[in-house]
Amino acid sequence: MEYLVHIGILIGIYLILGVSLDLIAGHTGMLSLAHAAFYGIGAYAAAILALRMNVPFPVSVALCMTLGALLGIVLGALTARIRDDYFVVATLALQVVVLRVFKNCIWLTGGSSGLIGIPEPAVGGYVVSSDFGLLLLVGLACCLTVFVSGRIVGSPLGRVLIAIREDEIVACCAGKNVLVHKLTVLAVGGAFAAGAGALYAHYVGFIDPTSFTLMESIFVLSIVIIGGAGTRWGPVVGAAILVTLPEVLRFVGLPGSMAGEVRQILYGGLLVVFVMWRPQGLMGARMIQRGGVQE
Amino acid sequence: MCQSIANGLVSASWIALVALGFGLIYGPARFFHFAHGVVFTLAPYLSFLFAVRLGLPVPISFLMAVGLSTATGCMMEIGVYRPLRHRGASPLTLLVASLGLYVMGQNTISLIFGKGSKTLGLGIHEGINVLGVRITPVQLVIVLVSLTAMGFSVLLIKKAKFGKAIRAVANDRVLATVSGIDGDRVILWSFAIGSALAAVAGILVALDVDMAPTMGLNAVVMGVVAFIIGGTSRIRGIALGALLVGMVQHVGVLVIGSQWQDAVVFIMLFAFLLVRPEGFLGRKIRKATV
Amino acid sequence: MSFKRLEIRHLVKAFGGEIVLSDFSLSACGGETVGLIGPNGAGKTTLFNVITGFLSPEKGTVSFDGTKLVGLPPFRIANLGVCRTFQDVRLIRPLTTVENVLLASRDRTGERLVDVLFRWKRTTRRESKMREAAISLLESVGLLDTVDVAGGELSYGQQKLLSLVCCLASGAELILLDEPIAGIAPEMRGEILSIIRELPNKGKCVVVIEHNFDAISSICDRVIFMDAGEKKSEGTPDEIQTDPIVIETYLG
Repeated sequence: MEYLVHIGILIGIYLILGVSLDLIAGHTGMLSLAHAAFYGIGAYAAAILALRMNVPFPVSVALCMTLGALLGIVLGALTARIRDDYFVVATLALQVVVLRVFKNCIWLTGGSSGLIGIPEPAVGGYVVSSDFGLLLLVGLACCLTVFVSGRIVGSPLGRVLIAIREDEIVACCAGKNVLVHKLTVLAVGGAFAAGAGALYAHYVGFIDPTSFTLMESIFVLSIVIIGGAGTRWGPVVGAAILVTLPEVLRFVGLPGSMAGEVRQILYGGLLVVFVMWRPQGLMGARMIQRGGVQE
Repeated sequence: MCQSIANGLVSASWIALVALGFGLIYGPARFFHFAHGVVFTLAPYLSFLFAVRLGLPVPISFLMAVGLSTATGCMMEIGVYRPLRHRGASPLTLLVASLGLYVMGQNTISLIFGKGSKTLGLGIHEGINVLGVRITPVQLVIVLVSLTAMGFSVLLIKKAKFGKAIRAVANDRVLATVSGIDGDRVILWSFAIGSALAAVAGILVALDVDMAPTMGLNAVVMGVVAFIIGGTSRIRGIALGALLVGMVQHVGVLVIGSQWQDAVVFIMLFAFLLVRPEGFLGRKIRKATV
Repeated sequence: MSFKRLEIRHLVKAFGGEIVLSDFSLSACGGETVGLIGPNGAGKTTLFNVITGFLSPEKGTVSFDGTKLVGLPPFRIANLGVCRTFQDVRLIRPLTTVENVLLASRDRTGERLVDVLFRWKRTTRRESKMREAAISLLESVGLLDTVDVAGGELSYGQQKLLSLVCCLASGAELILLDEPIAGIAPEMRGEILSIIRELPNKGKCVVVIEHNFDAISSICDRVIFMDAGEKKSEGTPDEIQTDPIVIETYLG
């Protein structure tokens, strides 16, 4: 039972990461490989705020999300004039630089050893010490994420994002300030990714740089694409499947030492398979994305 | 200081090899083939398998390793990229596919050979003193091979019919097809040559330092940076880009410290993308083809 | 009808060493339709790109209703009331016909994050009102049954009509049409031309690039003949049709 709760929490965290990346990459067409960096910044910020400054959990989460939003805006501002595939490389650069900061600023982040002893989250004096309680907390966060994302997608703003993805020139001619919209979506996506990081930090109690690498970014991207980029429930389905699938392997008797690699080979392979044969993902129905995956 | 410059030159040389291969593929195929890093990593590991584990003669091991790695690169083109391209996939789609291929490749190598680093050392780590700078025979070979490869590529692109074909396909694939050039064949050849270069570079680097399953990622990323900074369109540019990356890595760290090595390179890339998105020697892109 | 809304003065545009617009001037009044003809490569589309801000001229000025356009980003120029169509139709393929029209509207309620998060009721109310208006607009041009069809699935003629409708929906006062009827069937052509003919009645300023001279004569008050980036001739459709320069280089 405890194991299922653990899986549930992980699915929840990756759901938030997937939905937030989908806003940026799926709807707006900005393929970002830096999502793990945002995730990590949220985690480290939450850890530092809790360990060094005793900031209460709700305030800490708000601060982490704000930090994520700010970083998103910075990324957007820096890459404003950078087109499609170079944008991907720029996000790759950001990802690597942020990871370096995690590894090198030992005084702040504990370096490669990371930070330990992160306390359990406490909301208004009540400490969420049971895993089930944490599952509820993550569940609430998921609902919030899906709610906000759903609102954005179903609104005129969502329409503008799709326009930006499909043809920026048309969007400009329609009078849309493309840069502001890109910054907005990067801020929202970044905020939620950082929030997921904060939840993760408080859940596992210790963090180190290995959880926030480029591979992690690619994993979240796989969730988006396999689930269905630019769809409402795609990332949700993607998170559920990609998190549980490797766990199934454990029951088939795969030795633990191989689990990490096999999991990655699996999702790498699924990514290639889906890109080739079902680019719209599991939940996608029709032709989408000029700049992304095409039917 | 001179030692750092020498080290920087060595790095620049193998980065140039990787970037050259990457660029040869980007030319006609027009996308970022990140899985280039798999080929880079596979070659030394296969060499290890043949020479150390199976005890085959070293030259044969190297040849087989380069051959099989090159074949792997070609299979990626035939099995994944070509079908996607025929379906009209965008460069971003191909990039995503290459990311998936990279993840599969690195982890397969890691699964079979283990996560830790290995040495392909064949006992030639004794440095010799050249002009007051310590350099090993392997490092000399790296520089020489790199220069040779670049020279050869310049000739290939400029003179040979194949080079003209690459340029035609790079500029306009549809037009090239109409002119009777088989775009698929040109691209396959560029994958073959490009992968071979990466394989050779991988073996050389493994001989110089160690090898680990993650070495390919670092290599291809440095290669991409060199390629972009160099302007993505000419071999001279790639050489300059690789030189810059190599120098920043080794000379820059004198000021900053080696743990910031790749971060500095990336910040440099960022700066370049901001100021000159077309790189050193690239042509200025016409704003908005409307 | 008498005051000039669009003023283009001594525009010069070059790509590298090649001059594509040479000392080009044009002015147009509200309620006037100006035709722009000339061989391919004459610089007509380049002119549109300069006006709409996608290209910067080396010299010269463009102003609309007194506001200088040169140097402004394209989206700002669009918000000043300028709208254009493209030679190769550009629209948002995954969006439906009505969604494309809604996209063109300059009312930005619901496009700001604040509206989406905190003013949802107001946003949805606006949206349904605008949707009704968009549907009746589509009905008036005969596109009612394509309302929920994805833009990418429309026929070429319908797509061209749709991009014109988007111009209408945007409330633009300066409308630049780049070959609005090229390559489409006669029935659709008639529909599009009749819409274009209506535009001056609303005081709008229209500039049309076309190769079909019959169409030009039927909708334009004035025609300008361009060649190699220069204005070679200007006059009424009849005058241009009989102009020896035009006949020699183009119509003949």
